[in-house]
Amino acid sequence: MNKIGLALKELYRAEEELADEYVKVGERLAAEHDVWYDCKRFAEQCHTHAGAIRPFASKHEEDLPPADDETVGETSTAALRHKLSEALGRRPESGLLLLRSLRQLYLQAQEVSFHWMIAGQLAQATRDQELLSVVDELHRETLTQIKWLKTQVKLASPQALVVGAGR
Amino acid sequence: MANERTIDIWGDRTPYAAGAEWPARVDEHVVEQPDRWVESACVLCSNGCGMDIGVRDGRIVGVRGRADDRVNHGRLGPKGLYGWQANNSPDRLTRPLVRRDGDLRETGWDEAMELIADRSRELLETMGPLSLGFYTSGQLFSEEYYAQAKVARAGLGTPHLDGNTRLCTATAEWALIESFGCDGDPGSYTDFDVCDTLFLVGHNVAETQTVLWMRMLDRLHGPDRPKLVVVDPRPTPAAREADVWLPIRSGTNVALLNAIQHELIANGWVDSAFVAEHTVGFEALERLVSEYPPERAAEICGVPADSIREAAHVLGTGERLVSTCLQGVYQSNQATAAAVQLNNVNLLRGMIGKPGCSVFQMNGQPTAENTRETGANGALPGYRNFANDAHVDELAALWNVEPLTIPHWAPPTHAMQIFRFAEEGSVRFLWITATNPAVSLPELHRIRSILSQERLFVVVSDAFLTETALLADVVLPAALWGEKQGTYTNADRTVHLSDKAVEPPGEARSDLDMFLDYATRMGFADRDGNPLLGFSTPEQAFDEFKRVSAGRPCDYSAMTYELLRGSRGIQWPCNAEHPEGCERLYTSHRFPTHADYCESYGHDLLSGAENEPDEYNAHDPQGRAFLKGAAYVPSPELPSDEYPFLLNTGRTVYHWHTRTKTARAPELEQAAPEVWVELAPEDAERLDVADGDIVAVESARGRIEAPARVTGIREGIVFVPFHYGYWDEPEGSEPNGRARAANELTITRWDPVSKQPIYKTAAVSVEKVADGGGAARVPAVASQERFR
Repeated sequence: MNKIGLALKELYRAEEELADEYVKVGERLAAEHDVWYDCKRFAEQCHTHAGAIRPFASKHEEDLPPADDETVGETSTAALRHKLSEALGRRPESGLLLLRSLRQLYLQAQEVSFHWMIAGQLAQATRDQELLSVVDELHRETLTQIKWLKTQVKLASPQALVVGAGR
Repeated sequence: MANERTIDIWGDRTPYAAGAEWPARVDEHVVEQPDRWVESACVLCSNGCGMDIGVRDGRIVGVRGRADDRVNHGRLGPKGLYGWQANNSPDRLTRPLVRRDGDLRETGWDEAMELIADRSRELLETMGPLSLGFYTSGQLFSEEYYAQAKVARAGLGTPHLDGNTRLCTATAEWALIESFGCDGDPGSYTDFDVCDTLFLVGHNVAETQTVLWMRMLDRLHGPDRPKLVVVDPRPTPAAREADVWLPIRSGTNVALLNAIQHELIANGWVDSAFVAEHTVGFEALERLVSEYPPERAAEICGVPADSIREAAHVLGTGERLVSTCLQGVYQSNQATAAAVQLNNVNLLRGMIGKPGCSVFQMNGQPTAENTRETGANGALPGYRNFANDAHVDELAALWNVEPLTIPHWAPPTHAMQIFRFAEEGSVRFLWITATNPAVSLPELHRIRSILSQERLFVVVSDAFLTETALLADVVLPAALWGEKQGTYTNADRTVHLSDKAVEPPGEARSDLDMFLDYATRMGFADRDGNPLLGFSTPEQAFDEFKRVSAGRPCDYSAMTYELLRGSRGIQWPCNAEHPEGCERLYTSHRFPTHADYCESYGHDLLSGAENEPDEYNAHDPQGRAFLKGAAYVPSPELPSDEYPFLLNTGRTVYHWHTRTKTARAPELEQAAPEVWVELAPEDAERLDVADGDIVAVESARGRIEAPARVTGIREGIVFVPFHYGYWDEPEGSEPNGRARAANELTITRWDPVSKQPIYKTAAVSVEKVADGGGAARVPAVASQERFR
């Protein structure tokens, strides 16, 4: 068993799962128009990251499937989620749903970031300059996703939790 | 002939050479001889032309340009010359209205204001301050915005106050902040007098700022004509004058500007010493734009690679470059990212802070700049940084309130988000001042449904019964320009004082008086129990704002009404160091980027993720400007089989906003009475459409019908002016059968950084629905032949 290959597989898996979550959240929160659009773009970005990891994993004896390229608005249940979002979008509880979704994305993005950090250490320890460059560029994109999630949470939480609270 | 200037829009040429004074030419239109003239400035575009209001027997009877004003040297455009007649319209609102049994009925001020205060108190009690919001304008005066900002931020304590400036100049503001650390256009209009190269990106200056175009035309027709490069999918008057015209596919500005920067760097047309000494970020920018050779941009933008090279050559070899942009950038895809690339072009060339060398992030409205300075939009007063506790503490001390009263956990809420909160039901009170979202916001069926909700209490202050006012619970009759006093600031930081010329009609009041009344009824007080709004006149409000602005870049501290009166217009900063104002910013090439001074820590240009204070501190640029690159990302909605065209919306020279004023000026209304759809000849032929035929334009969100006009617009793009709504049709607030408002079609999407809605890239279909029988009644300026 190649432990390095396994670590890269973990990163790949985390990116693919995060992509799936972006797709789901984007559709569920279609009434939050900016969230919908950015989730779509970030889902694509995660798939690109996963695709970039594959050749390094196979170098370490770990054959990964091609990155899934499913994006927001294209799954079979997308239309249903979209409709539901528009219906729920008229209710104040939609702010709570937004917060819950952002929490899930934040946790998964942190997990991805964690695996990028490990990948960076491995790249240095194995003197793999090519992997190091990839990690450097793509980890930065994950950190931007995390910053974006923080920006959204800071904006959304007071409105979702304070309006009408305890009155 | 009374309406000659709707045909001869720019008037006679007065050519001049570089460095000469722009000759004066006084434009005047009066219907009776005035018995006195009152000093003011025009409010019908962002240029800020100095004008006098002619008054006879207590009525406005005409206007004339102020010959010695630094902005216009006496000239006025068609809207300025004729638009004042709206003040005298019999349609003016003269008494407050409140909704009873479904209908708006006349009432007195006391009852109307008490209703507003009651509803506010009830919501504060049951739901808290975040359930109240304000949507304001780019049309009020500085003093009014300042009072409004104080009422919202420190009186109620709500972050939900934004202006319709979000639709017009939010990107100008944020592009300046991202590059230079702080808002404020660096240049002076006199830069147009000495430049040798002009670069206009998405800036239809001939129609949107007619008097500035007169200045450019006089240079272009003068002895040492500057080179002109124009980026615009439409054959605008500026495009027709250009040495290089790039009619790009809508939504691709970033790709084009990246390719131009690629060429500047590849050919060594970069001021390396300036870049090394005064900027940060060159290496990352160089890496990024290296991926955009002209061939790649040519494919994305749909213009020849050689034209891009030619444009770059002009920009790279001139000695004094002025670059400008407006809605073709701000209301398009990747707005802030693209506007920042334009800043980069001037920074790479080292052409800023010197005569003839500047970038102008233009404004869309005459007082847009003031919402930004006073904090009536997504900023705090005096360009303060909401994420910097020291800035918030300073403001709280000036206002004598607790810092925590001023919401600063996130940026002040942008307009589209305020409407989203109203849609979900967490905002229940919305006071709309001097703007008409039921025509001007995107995706109108959604906006109408939000404003029509029973649970949302809508207050509208306006001079006319607009589409939006028809949906309100309370309508307050507002005094217009000429009927109140105050100041406003244009795109080259020139401040004008506008004196009160006549009394408002009936019981109409200024917005300042409305906010003062509201603050008194609500009992807003500072920490010592004194009234929060410690002023009662415009001049007192101005004096307070001056104190609040002191020490910040937009420093008004040495400016007074007395100094402004009779002046040529005064540019801020006006303080102890610059007692008569300051013509150009950044002349020493020091920029306001210091961590403790900047207006914002900036954003990721693609996602809008905010930079963290620690991160900024760690890389404090300490006075250097930012060179920020951005990859091209396609528009959120691209043409498809079902919707194969790209919709471009915009302005015509004859109308302003939603025609509330301009349709009440006969010359302007007659010049452009009806909406139209511009089509390229190739597209018209394929669709079997002749000039004047009625076509339907449809998107996933709505459908309109209008006469077609075949012009030299780029193939695959259709243009519809956004001014036309329904107030002068039977239903008033919504389509009656045939819809005609361009925003029925537009998309609810905004730029991630500036939050400016994307009006210029929606996918639509076009089909012919009826023969027209002759040419469409559309303005002459739109009907020019294709010239290439």
